[in-house]
Amino acid sequence: MNTQKQILQVESLTKSYGKGDSSTEALKDITFHVLEGEFLGIMGASGSGKTTLLNCIATVLKPTSGKIILHGKDISNFHGEALSDYRGKEIGYLFQEFELLDNLTAEENITLPLALHGVTAKKAKSDIRSLAAMFDITEVLDKFPSQMSGGQKQRVAAARALISNPDIVLADEPTGALDSKNSKILMDKLSAINREQHKTIMMVTHDANAASYCSRILFIQDGCIFHELRRSVQTESTAAFYDRIVAVMAQLGGGSANVL
Amino acid sequence: MFFKQVRRNAAKNRKGNGLFFGSLVIAIVAFYTLLSLGEQDVMRYLATVESDAVSKLMKLLPIIYAISLFFAFFLVYFACSYQINSRRRELGIYLILGMRRSRMFFMLFCEALWSSVISLAIGIPVALFLTEGISLTTSKLIGLGIIGHHFSFSINAIVWTVCGFIFVQLLSMLFICVGIGKAEPADLLRTETVKNQKRLSGAASTVCFILGLVFLLTAYYLGMFQLRSLNFFVMLIVILCGISGTFLLYRGLGGFIGLYIRRKSPDAAGLQTFTARQVQENVLSQHKSLAVSSLLLMMALACVSYGISIGVGRSANSRSVDFSLFGAEEQIENILEQDAMKDMIKDSYPLYLSMVKDGYFRDQEQAFDTASLTEELDKVKDPNGLAENIIENLHIEYVISESSYNRILKDMGKKEIHLAKNTVAMYSSIANDGDFGSIVESVLKKGVSVGIDGTKYEILPTLYYDNVVADRAISIYMALIVPDTLYTELAEEQEAYCRNLRLSDDLVEELGLMQAVQKMDAQIADAGIAYDSYLGGIGRNLFYTVAASYLTIYLGVLFWLIANTVIGLKYLISQRQTKKRYETLVILGADMQSMGKSVAKQISVYFSLVLSVALASSIAAIVTMFTSFTKLPIGASLKTMIVLSAVALIVFATIEILYISIVKKAASREISRLETTNWR
Repeated sequence: MNTQKQILQVESLTKSYGKGDSSTEALKDITFHVLEGEFLGIMGASGSGKTTLLNCIATVLKPTSGKIILHGKDISNFHGEALSDYRGKEIGYLFQEFELLDNLTAEENITLPLALHGVTAKKAKSDIRSLAAMFDITEVLDKFPSQMSGGQKQRVAAARALISNPDIVLADEPTGALDSKNSKILMDKLSAINREQHKTIMMVTHDANAASYCSRILFIQDGCIFHELRRSVQTESTAAFYDRIVAVMAQLGGGSANVL
Repeated sequence: MFFKQVRRNAAKNRKGNGLFFGSLVIAIVAFYTLLSLGEQDVMRYLATVESDAVSKLMKLLPIIYAISLFFAFFLVYFACSYQINSRRRELGIYLILGMRRSRMFFMLFCEALWSSVISLAIGIPVALFLTEGISLTTSKLIGLGIIGHHFSFSINAIVWTVCGFIFVQLLSMLFICVGIGKAEPADLLRTETVKNQKRLSGAASTVCFILGLVFLLTAYYLGMFQLRSLNFFVMLIVILCGISGTFLLYRGLGGFIGLYIRRKSPDAAGLQTFTARQVQENVLSQHKSLAVSSLLLMMALACVSYGISIGVGRSANSRSVDFSLFGAEEQIENILEQDAMKDMIKDSYPLYLSMVKDGYFRDQEQAFDTASLTEELDKVKDPNGLAENIIENLHIEYVISESSYNRILKDMGKKEIHLAKNTVAMYSSIANDGDFGSIVESVLKKGVSVGIDGTKYEILPTLYYDNVVADRAISIYMALIVPDTLYTELAEEQEAYCRNLRLSDDLVEELGLMQAVQKMDAQIADAGIAYDSYLGGIGRNLFYTVAASYLTIYLGVLFWLIANTVIGLKYLISQRQTKKRYETLVILGADMQSMGKSVAKQISVYFSLVLSVALASSIAAIVTMFTSFTKLPIGASLKTMIVLSAVALIVFATIEILYISIVKKAASREISRLETTNWR
C-alpha cells in the first residue's frame, strides 16, 4: 500500500431520495479517502447507506451534493464518453449476484468491458489467460453461466472486474451469494490481488469474515461514518482482526453509547 | 373503488403500450370487415345477378370468420400476455397483500372487458370507415359508379364483431390467468428471466439446419416443377416438406449462429458479441414462434399476390362485346336507328360466325386437314397428358370472318389481324382454361398449317380468344378466323350470326360500365328482341374477382398482422426479461447510444431472419401457384401485374419498416427507463 497517495477522495457527500417532506437522506455529509493499494471495507446495518455510497462512487447513483474525486478528477461532473470510460476502464465492479450475462460464455463475459471500449478478445488473450489461471476458471472459459457453480460464476465476475486493469475495484457484498468455502476462495484471491498487484479494493459487506481480509474498515450508520478500524497487516492476523470487527458490530447493534 | 382501479389500470395499459392496444383495434377491424362483406355495394349488386353463387359465398363466411377468430386469438393472446407480463410484480404484490386469486383474476377480466369496450369504441368506427372506403373503391374500380353507393351499416356484423372480439379477449385472459394461477407470489415478484434453453449440440444443430434446408428446397422444387396439375399426393408432400423444413431450419439456426459467434468473437468489439448472443438466444428460445411467423408471412404474401392477380386477371381488358342482338336485320336496324340508342353506341356490326358447310365433311372425317397440327402437338412434352387429350378431341367446326373479328379487336383497342394469302388464324374461347391455351399457342409458334380443300393454309402464330358474342356462356373449342372471301366459301350460314354492339366510351366513362350496360339493357328490353348482354358475364366475372381477391387479400393481411405482432411482441417480452443485462452493461461502461444501436440491430436481424425465409418461400409459393394449378389468364396484362405487384411489395415493405421502427421505439423506450440510468 502506498501510504502517501490518495486514489479516491470523497468530500461532503450527500445523497437524498424523494422530495420535500418525504425526502430521506441516505448519506449525510460523508468525507473520507482511499489510499492507493488499500483494501477498504465498508460495513453497516441494512439501510445504513453503505450500498448507496458504493453506487455513488460507481456512478450508478448521482450524489445530491459533494464531490467524488478519483485521481484528481471530480467524477460527479462526468457525462457521455467520459462517464462510460470511467465505468469501463477506471473502476471494476463486483456484484453480489455476479450479474454475468447468462447468454454469454465466461470468456465473452470477461472481455465485455474491453469490447465496450474497442479492445478485441484477441488482443487481450494473454490477460484473459493469466486472470483465468489466477481465479482458477480456465476450464469454464467456454461455458455459459448456467453450466457453472456459484463460486465459479463469482470468480468469472471478479476476472471481468479486473480485465480492464481498473484503478479501483468496487465490490458489493461479493460473498453474499456464496457458501463459506467459496467465500473463502474468493476472498483469498481478492486479497492476493490486493497484496501482490497492489490493486485498490473497496468492498461493502455484512460478513465479518470477508471484512477481516481488509486493511481498514469504515462503519456506517444512518448515512454517517460512525467508526473506523485499521488493521496492522504486518502484525495482526485476520483472526484477531475478525474478533475486533465482531466486537464493533456487537456494539453497533447496541447503539452509539457502547462505542468509543 | 374496485372499478375505479380497474379503469385506471386499463387506462395505464393503453397509454403504456400502443402496440398492445393497436393489436386489439386491428382484430376488431378485421372481424367487421369480413362480416360486413354481404353489405358491400358489389356484393349487394351481385346478389341480384348471381344470387346462387353469392349465397354460397355467404355460407362460406362463417367458416372464414371462425378461421379469423382462431388466428386473431393468437394476436390478442400475445398482446395480452405481453401486457400482463410487465405487471407480474404488481400482481405478486396484490397476492402478498392478501388479495384472493379469484378476486385478482376477476379484476384482470374486468380490465380486459373495459379495454375491449374502449377498443370497440375506436375499432368499429375505424372499421366502418375502412369498409366504406373499400366499398367505394371497388364499385368505382369495377364501374358500378358512385351513384350506386349506399352507406352500409350492418348491425349483424357489429353484433358478431363485438361477440367474437370479447370472446377472444376473455379466452386469452383465461389462458394467461391459468398460467399466473400456477405461479407462487415469489415467482411473480421476481423479475422474470429467460428460461434456460436446452441447447442442441453443434452437430445436432447442423443436422437440423441442413435437413431443414433440404426439406425446404425439396418443397420449392416439387412445388415449382412437379405440381403441374392439382396432384393431391405431391401437394401433401410439398406442404409437409415446407412446414417441417421451416421448423427444422429455425431449430438448427440457433446453433448455427453460435458457431458464427465463436468464429467472430475474438475480433469483436463493442456490443457485437452481446448483440449476436441476444439474437441467438431469441432464436433458440423462440424457434417455434419464428417458424410459425415465417409460415404465416409466407401465407400472407402468397394470399395477397394471389388476390391481386385474380383481381387483375379477371378484370383484365376482357370486355369485347357489350350486346349481341338476334333477329332480322331490318328489325335490329330499326331499333338502332332510335335517337336514344344512337348516342349510346360506339360501334355496331354483324358478326359472321358459322359452322363449316356440310359438304366439307362428306369425303373426310374432318372438315380440315389438321395433320400438321397433330404432328406438332404430339411432340409436346406434357406430363399431364393434356396435349394427347387435345389431339383426341381436335375438331374445327366453326369459321369466323376476318372483318368481324377485326371489329372486335378494334373496339378493344387491340391490334387487328391481317391475313395474307393462304393464311388463317386460330380461335378458341377456352384459351384461359388451364394449360389449353399455352399448349396450343406453343404449337402455333412453331409454324403449323391446316389443309382446306386440298390447299395448305399457314396458321398465324397467335391464338385468338376474345369473346365474339356478349354471352360468355357460349364457348367455341376451336375455330378458324378466315378471310371474308374464304368465309363465304366455307360457311354453312351466309347470314350474320348476330349483331354486336359496343357502348360509347363517353357513356361508360360517365356512368361506369355496369350502369351503362344496365341503361342500354333497359332500352333493348323494351324493343322486344332476343339479345344477350355483357351484364351476365360481368356478374359471374365480378363474383370471382370480388370473392377470390377480397377474401384472399383479407386473409393475407390478417396473417401478416398476426405474424408481425407475434415477432414484435415476442422480442419485446424477451427484452423485458433480459432488462437486468442492460443494467449490468451500463455499469460495465456501455453508453446509451451503443445499447440503443444494439437493440435496433437485434430487432432488424430478428425480423430479417423471419422475413428472409418467408420471402424465399413465398416466391416459391407464388411461382408454384401461377405455373401450376392457377394459371394467370392469358388476357391479364403482365405489365399491370408487375406494376401492381411492385406497388404491393412497396406497401408491404413500407408498413413492415414502419412496424419494425415501432418495435424499435418501444424497445429503446424500455432501455431509457433502466434504473441505473438516472446519472445523466
